Amino acid sequence: MQSTPLDNQESTPGMARSGVRMAIISNRMESIARKMQNTLFRTARSGVLNTAHDFSCVILTADCQLLASAESLPIHTLIGPDLMCQAVRKYHPELKAGDCFLHNSPYEGDSHAADHCLIVPVVDDGGTVRFFVLAKAHQADCGNSKPTTYMGHASDVYEEGALIFSAAKIQSDYTDNQDLIRMCRTRIRVPEQWWGDYLATLGAVRIGERELLQLGEEIGWEALDDYAGAWFDYSEQKMIQAIKRLPSGEITVHSAHDPFPGVPEGIPVSVTVRIDAEEGRIRVDLRDNPDCQPCGLNLSEGCARTAAMIGIYNGLIDHGVPPNAGSFRRIEIDLRENCVVGIPRHPYSCSVATTNLADRVSTPVQRAIAEIAPGFGMAETGPIMPPAMGVISGRDPRTGEAFVNQIFLGITGGAGTPVTDGFLTIIHAGNAGLCRQDSIEVDELHHPLFVKERRLIPDTEGHGTMRGSPSMYAEFGPIEDCTMHVLYTADGTIHPALGACEGGAGGKSKAFKRERDGSLTSLPNCHGAVLDHGEFIVSHSAGGGGYGPAMRRDPERVLHDLREGWISPERAKDIYGVVITGSAETDTLAVDPVATQVLRETR
Amino acid sequence: MRLACDTGGTFTDLVVEDGDEIRLFKASTTPDDPVRGVLNSLALAAEHYGRDLGDFLGEAEMFIHGTTRAINAILTGNTARTAFLTTEGHPDVLVIREGGRIEPFNFTVPYPEPYVPRRLTFEIPERIEANGSIRKPLDEAAVIAIAEKLKLLKVEAVGVCLLWSIVNGEHEKRVGELLAKHLPGVPVTLSHLLNPTLREYRRASATVIDASLKPLMFQYLDSLTRRLREAGFAGRTLMVTSGGGIMDAEAVARMPIHSINSGPAMAPVAGRYYAARDFDGAAAIVADTGGTTYDVSLVRDGRIPWTRETWIGQRFRGHMTGFPSVDVKSIGAGGGSIAWVDEGGLLRVGPRSAGSTPGPVSYGKGGTEPTVTDCSLILGYIDPDFFLGGTMVLDRDAAAEALRTKVADKLGLSVEEAAAAIFALATEKMVGAIDEITVNQGIDPATAVLIGGGGAAGLNAVAVGRRLGCAGVLIPEAGSVLSAAGALMSDIASDYAQMLFTTSRRFAFDEVNAVLASLEARCRAFAEGPGAGALNVTIDFSVEARYAHQIWEIEVPMTSGRIETDADLEALQQAFHDTHQSIFEISDPGSDMEFVTWRAKVSCQLREGGTGQLPMPKSVSHELGRRQIYFSETGWTDAEVIRFESMPSGVPVAGPAIIESSFTTVVVDPGTNAVRSEGGGLRVTF
Repeated sequence: MQSTPLDNQESTPGMARSGVRMAIISNRMESIARKMQNTLFRTARSGVLNTAHDFSCVILTADCQLLASAESLPIHTLIGPDLMCQAVRKYHPELKAGDCFLHNSPYEGDSHAADHCLIVPVVDDGGTVRFFVLAKAHQADCGNSKPTTYMGHASDVYEEGALIFSAAKIQSDYTDNQDLIRMCRTRIRVPEQWWGDYLATLGAVRIGERELLQLGEEIGWEALDDYAGAWFDYSEQKMIQAIKRLPSGEITVHSAHDPFPGVPEGIPVSVTVRIDAEEGRIRVDLRDNPDCQPCGLNLSEGCARTAAMIGIYNGLIDHGVPPNAGSFRRIEIDLRENCVVGIPRHPYSCSVATTNLADRVSTPVQRAIAEIAPGFGMAETGPIMPPAMGVISGRDPRTGEAFVNQIFLGITGGAGTPVTDGFLTIIHAGNAGLCRQDSIEVDELHHPLFVKERRLIPDTEGHGTMRGSPSMYAEFGPIEDCTMHVLYTADGTIHPALGACEGGAGGKSKAFKRERDGSLTSLPNCHGAVLDHGEFIVSHSAGGGGYGPAMRRDPERVLHDLREGWISPERAKDIYGVVITGSAETDTLAVDPVATQVLRETR
Repeated sequence: MRLACDTGGTFTDLVVEDGDEIRLFKASTTPDDPVRGVLNSLALAAEHYGRDLGDFLGEAEMFIHGTTRAINAILTGNTARTAFLTTEGHPDVLVIREGGRIEPFNFTVPYPEPYVPRRLTFEIPERIEANGSIRKPLDEAAVIAIAEKLKLLKVEAVGVCLLWSIVNGEHEKRVGELLAKHLPGVPVTLSHLLNPTLREYRRASATVIDASLKPLMFQYLDSLTRRLREAGFAGRTLMVTSGGGIMDAEAVARMPIHSINSGPAMAPVAGRYYAARDFDGAAAIVADTGGTTYDVSLVRDGRIPWTRETWIGQRFRGHMTGFPSVDVKSIGAGGGSIAWVDEGGLLRVGPRSAGSTPGPVSYGKGGTEPTVTDCSLILGYIDPDFFLGGTMVLDRDAAAEALRTKVADKLGLSVEEAAAAIFALATEKMVGAIDEITVNQGIDPATAVLIGGGGAAGLNAVAVGRRLGCAGVLIPEAGSVLSAAGALMSDIASDYAQMLFTTSRRFAFDEVNAVLASLEARCRAFAEGPGAGALNVTIDFSVEARYAHQIWEIEVPMTSGRIETDADLEALQQAFHDTHQSIFEISDPGSDMEFVTWRAKVSCQLREGGTGQLPMPKSVSHELGRRQIYFSETGWTDAEVIRFESMPSGVPVAGPAIIESSFTTVVVDPGTNAVRSEGGGLRVTF
């Protein structure tokens, strides 16, 4: 057969044409970031990286704008990499191929001192910096005064004790600066593990560098610059379209972190969110909040900005908006110097900046969007760090060796959204569920630990049209001849995750000790428990808030939750107004639609 | 004579191997009664040979079958009503899973439902500890009471997975006995027998999936073997397994989880053979292009890659089978992937697919969204009158019109430019998928050859291979039926595993050797039973191990079936360091290691070499003519069209050219060269 050309239409240049090229190059860029990430995940030595997946890999433009990021923990990714590259630029005006910088200063862009970043400028043959690649990895130890990377009770950075690096050149000409290596090896508790993780992280940035150089050679650096510009414009347009779907409005909502050592009254957080739909802009003001506090909860600037932005990206309910410097143009975050959720002043400690207080910024932002724009936003995600996420330590009677490790035995917290029920294993807002939950068999094999029970707790979901996740119950203790310490820093024991648009609050997190006689003793929210054989610790994770009125929940969803044991028959009737017939024993439970309608109308 | 038949979503592929010759046949898949599609393909073959179906089948010794029956039943929720029995205190094993999520800002995807709902989950009062000791004895009265409840609930299958049954299976065994007595006729799967692997979620998941497939697969395989027999077949019916081997159909009916990945698992088996034959055993990237998915696997040093993290559906959103399977990565980019333009003006391909119904616009079956297949027609790559050897006529104008309104006009491009852009983007997605697995396994694509399987593979295999910088591209002569061809090359195989935790510092020699001896005995029994009469029997031992304090084990091949001396242990440790180095590019020679699960795999070889060759047809002319085809670099260009089957070996064809057979079309890009190998495959180099 003879094919004939279909038409001779002249192609139009400009945006439309770049739509094709852009699609292809952005696939390449995401592949490169993913390649970096795979390298790090596969080669890291510490559990926090190769199991918990607590790291991120990103590509930035030569002027330090975030361009591409593989699927990484949101709290690591959005803002911070840009600030850190700016720090590199500031202290090292001349950048050469082969340079690599170690940076973990929370006062200059890093999230917290435990997150070591390696930053490599991608320099072309002519000596021009074309891109930056950055890999951030949470260290198993970072030289703190105590063997933990979460120094919640540290009154300042001196008590915290981490080695702080500010754009320190750890490689020139692709060769290690042994001075810095020796510093780390001398100070960091598990030097071999640190070294293995350093190599893994270095491998990631060098692979990213190699791939970008190849790409530049293949399609030309100017074309790549054009691409970056076009990609940012596209992302900005997607952001504008997403914001335009919301109504304009402004609201101030409040949240609070539970009392903590150093802050006996807790930390109130106030966020003001303003949506300007016509302009396609969202602004979050965090300035009306307390000064930095003498504890490790203060946010770094990177975490303060990112935490607010997580609430925004969660609240848009449009994952088609690429989270990069282009869509960031439509967001403003107002921060204040020396503010507990702002720009920290040295020497206040930011040791726990990525989790507890950061969530107290993200979750009210997503709730505020819901209050301004019903149908968007989210309820609050459950706060974290109950005992089931604690650090266990002691001596293993089976081997005589000491052990210390963080466990993930059951953390839930997913918030109700306008379109879905809370994602059960979200862990916390900044994590987005990307980390894993432990297997009981693996934990019992690795540690002298016995997990008596792990199950969801009925009626702990934040009720709503779309409900939050229920709390998870976990009860565990040491095996025979072992004394076990369990350290945890829970939030959400007093202030639960609130619902949005008339949705209910999620269950509170709780901690108890199960005594030998079977009785329960309540434990404080930030605590180091000591357990002997026959004693157990009981952990309740925080549930997620619900979205929308419970009375509008689809009765079939209520029936589903009832059949699955997530809610009781009483709750189905009293909270959701659903009348159920039949019996669980014969699996004949069903909704009585007429009675349900009558009951709901009387409420 | 041996027959291999692979039932896919759209087509049922048949390969007939008669001595040193093979012949290929394709029939439509008949989803309402897939056995009919199988019989139809056999009828086509019988007709080709000019034989009566009964006579034809009477000559066949072996019928090897791959099917998507099990996976489809799972995906469409048509499995048996299954109950899950778990240890008291742990009812949410299938709900909590192992955590993990993709797409951090995508909250439109709900949390996955458990494979078995909580209302069909029952807690058994009992508990075994990590060292195998019984902390709480089994409450048999409670089990009997549960059996009564299951009867009342009309449960059709039961999966039992108790904590630590892998170190002490007594409680599970006893529960199995009690169910057999008090719930007769209902199939039961016990986790320690099916999949003795650490981590309760994945073991439980495999267990309930297996149980849920038992009624259905028993019925299907029973119907298949009966109707084959009725049609005149008197040989042995075997099934392709997820592990890349074959097993007797009756054995698969007893453990149907073996069949869930049965189709894709064969592609690397075939790829390994073709890479060895036509590319000197280079590392091979095997890519199988289907209607909705693009399946990629890697073969290195002649070894088929394995994984124990197989997902049904998307990672973290579907169900993990936790069952050893050939490692095949699947992305949603097939011929049916739909092209569209998003609201920001960006061109997109997939993830939606037109599948086989309604299919691409050009099939004229009601499809309205332009697909990758439509684009290949527009670009002149596919001949609308010679699709599947002319058995199906395609509508090029309809495809062009759909592409114009849905994509080209929105981008301000001509129709052919839009089609070429869609091809480039689909190519890029495939390259991304391949990149990811090559990086994960430490392979440089520049040293590897890309093997294109599936009917649509040839359309952009050369483009993909070139973008990856591969050493070359190979389209095997049986590439369009790669899985069925692989089935003819497989061994009858089975594998066994047992957990025993020990460390390099305090290595439990006696216990380990006892475990290995028992695994070996089971392999020998298999070889003397289902494997009887094999040309060759091999038993491969391996152990899943890790450095102290690591979490994830890797599988390390063992050189012998016993660890007797310190030197043996030393060698095993060295093998672990080497494997770790090759996968992760680092090793830690000073570190202790932990050994967790011991495995033995028995393979009984049926045939020498790979498979026969396609005979050269005598009557077909070499060159079919010329036609206009489009590339972005050259625009419309005049290209030779050559008949694949008639190409002599060793005579190169320079691109741009199209090489066509009844089952596939290979686009030879400008600047590349194609040549037929001695074996019959098409090698393209650049």
